[in-house]
Amino acid sequence: MREKILYGVGLIAGLYLVRNLYQILLVLPDEVDQGAIYRILLFHVPAWITCFTAYFLAGAASVMYLIKKNLNYDTFCVAAVEVGLAFTLIGLATGSIWARIIWGIWWTWDARLTWALITCIIYSGYLMLRHAVDDPTARAKNSAVLCIFSYASVIITYKSIDWWRTQHPGAVLSIRTGGGRMDPAMESILFQNAVALLMLAAVMVAVRMRQEETQREVESLRRYAHAAA
Amino acid sequence: MDSRNFTYMFYGLGAAWLILALYVLTLVSRESRLRRELDSVKRMLEDRERAAKA
Amino acid sequence: MRFLRQTLTIAAKDLRSEIRTKESLNAAISFAIVILVLFSFAVDPSSEQIKEMSGGLLWLVFAFAGALILNRSFARELSNDCLDALVSSPIPGSALFLGKAVANFVLLMVVEFVSMPIFGILYNMDWMRQPLWLAAVLVMATWGITVIGTMFSALTVNLRMRELMLPTLIYPMMIPALMAAMRLTTLLINGEGIPADDWIWVRLIVGFDIIFTSLAVTLVEVVLVG
Repeated sequence: MREKILYGVGLIAGLYLVRNLYQILLVLPDEVDQGAIYRILLFHVPAWITCFTAYFLAGAASVMYLIKKNLNYDTFCVAAVEVGLAFTLIGLATGSIWARIIWGIWWTWDARLTWALITCIIYSGYLMLRHAVDDPTARAKNSAVLCIFSYASVIITYKSIDWWRTQHPGAVLSIRTGGGRMDPAMESILFQNAVALLMLAAVMVAVRMRQEETQREVESLRRYAHAAA
Repeated sequence: MDSRNFTYMFYGLGAAWLILALYVLTLVSRESRLRRELDSVKRMLEDRERAAKA
Repeated sequence: MRFLRQTLTIAAKDLRSEIRTKESLNAAISFAIVILVLFSFAVDPSSEQIKEMSGGLLWLVFAFAGALILNRSFARELSNDCLDALVSSPIPGSALFLGKAVANFVLLMVVEFVSMPIFGILYNMDWMRQPLWLAAVLVMATWGITVIGTMFSALTVNLRMRELMLPTLIYPMMIPALMAAMRLTTLLINGEGIPADDWIWVRLIVGFDIIFTSLAVTLVEVVLVG
């Protein structure tokens, strides 16, 4: 049953993405200044929304783990961080390709880009730390603490466009500026894409969680086998 | 046509989908690896139990 | 009051054993000097360019030398199960953590005060133009570094590959403090005050210190005891 729901949601998310893609490519007109390239942003921003959501939930799950000591929170946390990292990479790659056209360079060390890269490195460190600990409870405890610390970099990345003058564009979404910075039709597609990517991410997190459970089962069976031997 | 930068737009969208696809592939490969490991550990335990009984 | 005394007891213990053995202090200071010398081959030490890089150079040296000190901070307690004894002693985990952080802070400050004049001599730099502000920046940024470092030293103490994991985890985490410290130190060494535009960095360092100190003090009990 759980499998069917998962694949159902995944299928809906995929179809929704294809429908959005049709809208983006064939219905929406070019942007006045940027031409066709702005369409990348309709994936770039939703990818970052998805990854920030994943990191936020991972941080919340870490706090919950430290309170309740229930390994399910840890399972969710690692799944969310891993999926978040995939979307971070999407955000970095799409942003870089957009910058190549608009700024003429692939990368610049302005505050937003730098912090985004740092966030990416920090959360890769989280996954590395998990590999270095064998005992499941020690692993869950240490990585939960690390995850809470890491969230600071997400906050800085999010706020960096307000704190520093960046080459990266400032806030454009109407939820942060009160509207007027972006065409409503484009913004609506952007949010629909965000919904679709979030659904896709939810499915991935669920799949990854089940894998983590299997992984733990394998580990505990192995330990049992060694203890019996 | 390329004054509208269509090529790079497709690079961008392609990169996004490529990374998604790669991540899904790692998920799938990990799934099959885990299933194999689980099977082998279970079989090992069963063998050992049978050996202990015999 | 009691908490303060316990913190100071731990700090004094760590400093005393460091003064007797000098194992990490010697290593950190000589390492810092070696990097300072090596760096003169990377850039032309007599050029104006070095002025622009001075803060970055100094803080890289401090961060690398700091990792040597921080690595030993909790690992030193592993032999003879000293860590277990400390955790089971009637001292709260937060006092244990703060004590160790204070000890590391003092050690790192010693490294910095030794490196600064050497840097000034080797690169012909008059670094005493804004002594008060420079001292304030050094203190604030060093505290930020030691808090993160001590916390992660506790976190990674039981890991395989501890020496490798600690630097990979702490450097990205320290970047806010390091970035601010580099920028401000460069400004202050060149004798300028802090222009209005750069006050954001001072706020960043202060915020970094407050947020991570309180986070670490809250969470360290969990890390040490479980």
